[in-house]
Amino acid sequence: MKVIGLAIAFSPTAKAILAEAKRFMDHFKATLILIHVGSHGADEDDKMKELLRVSGLNPASCKVLWRKGDPVKEILRACKEESVDLLLAGALKKENLVNHYLGTVARTIMRKAKCSVLMITNPSLEARPLKNIVVNAEDSPYIEQAIQAACQWAYLQPGGWIHIVRELKLLGLALSANEQCTEEEYAQTKQNMLREETAEVEKMLQHIPHHNLKVNIKMLSGKSGFELARFAERKEADLLVLGAPRRRFSLFDRVFPHDQEYIFNDLPCNVLVIQPRLA
Amino acid sequence: MTKLSQQEVMSLLIQLSVMLILGRLFAEAARKIKQPAVVGEILAGIILGPTILGMINPEWFQGLFPTGTSSLVLDGFVQVAVVMLLFIAGLEVDLHIVLQQGRQAFYTSSLGLIIPFAIGFVFPFFFPVFFGSSDGERHLAYSLFMGTSMAITALPVIARILMDLNIFKSRMGMLVISSAMINDLIGWLIFSVVLGMIGKEQHISIWYTVMLTVGFTVVMLTLGRGLINRGLPWVNRKLAWPGGLLSLSLALCFLAAAFTEYIGIHAIFGAFIVGVALGDSEHLSERAKEIVHQFINNIFAPLFFVAIGLKVNFIANFDLTLTLAIIAIAFAGKIIGSGWGTRLGGFSWRESMAAAFGMNARGAMEIILGLVALENGIINEKVFVSLVIMALVTSMSSGPLMKWMLRREH
Repeated sequence: MKVIGLAIAFSPTAKAILAEAKRFMDHFKATLILIHVGSHGADEDDKMKELLRVSGLNPASCKVLWRKGDPVKEILRACKEESVDLLLAGALKKENLVNHYLGTVARTIMRKAKCSVLMITNPSLEARPLKNIVVNAEDSPYIEQAIQAACQWAYLQPGGWIHIVRELKLLGLALSANEQCTEEEYAQTKQNMLREETAEVEKMLQHIPHHNLKVNIKMLSGKSGFELARFAERKEADLLVLGAPRRRFSLFDRVFPHDQEYIFNDLPCNVLVIQPRLA
Repeated sequence: MTKLSQQEVMSLLIQLSVMLILGRLFAEAARKIKQPAVVGEILAGIILGPTILGMINPEWFQGLFPTGTSSLVLDGFVQVAVVMLLFIAGLEVDLHIVLQQGRQAFYTSSLGLIIPFAIGFVFPFFFPVFFGSSDGERHLAYSLFMGTSMAITALPVIARILMDLNIFKSRMGMLVISSAMINDLIGWLIFSVVLGMIGKEQHISIWYTVMLTVGFTVVMLTLGRGLINRGLPWVNRKLAWPGGLLSLSLALCFLAAAFTEYIGIHAIFGAFIVGVALGDSEHLSERAKEIVHQFINNIFAPLFFVAIGLKVNFIANFDLTLTLAIIAIAFAGKIIGSGWGTRLGGFSWRESMAAAFGMNARGAMEIILGLVALENGIINEKVFVSLVIMALVTSMSSGPLMKWMLRREH
């Protein structure tokens, strides 16, 4: 990871978000680019300098981009121009109904960004241990990259768990078992499905360094994104890692939510959406 | 108020018991040869009904299924069974999977729907005498019905085949399943309009029926779905499980069925759409779905399918040429339509053919569709028998044909 972008506004959480960004910058030895969309004058310059100072950031070590216009468009444009690998932004855990359908800046960025995005729901000035990282191993062409990212982040503060979640599609079993299986055959089929899914994850893990990390492979059934979010909540996860979806979600997907829309609707914790930057 | 006599109560209970026992025996026999239970259950009905028992020993048949109040009550059971079967058919439609597949599922299912529908419509429309449509006024409804009956698919049969082949979760498996779901959703929508056209209220225009059907669907899948989704957590938390969920979901199903019947769309459509809305809720657990499924599929489905054989004489109403023509149209429509649709999804032509053979299974849905059409006077008994045979042939052949295609592919 070479370039980290940070969408920043002068909000009460700005200091904490900047502290988070600094930690990632130091860990990944990356360049930090701050993107501010809004008016720009002497006042804003002073506020930014103050923010950088209290966060312990050297103004020379990071670049500040002042933009005007539509926040989403400007932030995404800046990411493209500066070849940002990871964009950080603060986000509310849950939006109200109107904002949910209209799409707020944070949610729209998550849906449209062409680089990885980390949405921070609860930024902290001090580094907190990552006790539980949940990673979704479904619904994306970037599953391996998501697991890889989860492992890399787990190495930041070793000791926590990585829960790799895979979906067990019980619909087929329920439909076919109804008339075709004895109880024993049903249990056997379900066992086979579990074994196959676990083997699939283990196969992916073979290419990913995860030595000394505590890895748990978890199967969930039901509505995939919804169950994943609930699992992350139950585990009190610190980070949820997802691969970017195959296609861009629209308003229709918000009206009939599925997969990651359930997560965007109510962020269970900090959410990292992995999307390798297209050259 | 008319009351059942002791003799009639006894007779009804024996009928139900015999139907369930024989239905189960034949379903198990079908299972042994890897065929859907519906094949065995229909056969049980044919044996118990006028076709075999009524022919060999009419007195026994009359003794077992006497005409009168108990037969009326049995008919009531069958009506309730149809509503419940459509309810679980709706539960099986997982909008989540459909949306996951996005446009591709839409394209595949569109071709898998339009082409069979067109072929199924055109032949009966231009050859009404051959296809037994003598009623001039209802000819359009008849042709539209035939189109719909060719477009529908049997989701459980397809799911079983995909599970057998271990490709349910593959890209192709998900595409086939989601396309079948869209086909069913639109198929039942069209069928409701067709039923509305020949409804008792002749002054109601087709556009009014279309508007009612589409309006009901949209309201139920947005507002209704939202309300169900908000109410279910409360039901799960406060009421006994699964009793509370089971009784309330069935109550909702009957209420929607009664409502659609009241506004002039058939009851089954209300049950189907409520099933879709309920099944789409993230708060309806897989376990709860399974319980509803088991309850309806193992008690009401056998009663319904055995009752099919009791209603119609399959030998007296068998017309070989008509049956062959309907089977040929069914195969041609689905193989061309679904095959082409899947091919557009980037699959090889053998894989596309395999998917088309899978989608060709009509199963239980076709039989329900046929019975409702028969009861509403859209089709005659000969066409009904041909449709049932077509449903059985397509369901029995789709698995082996799909396997054969995929084996050759690999």
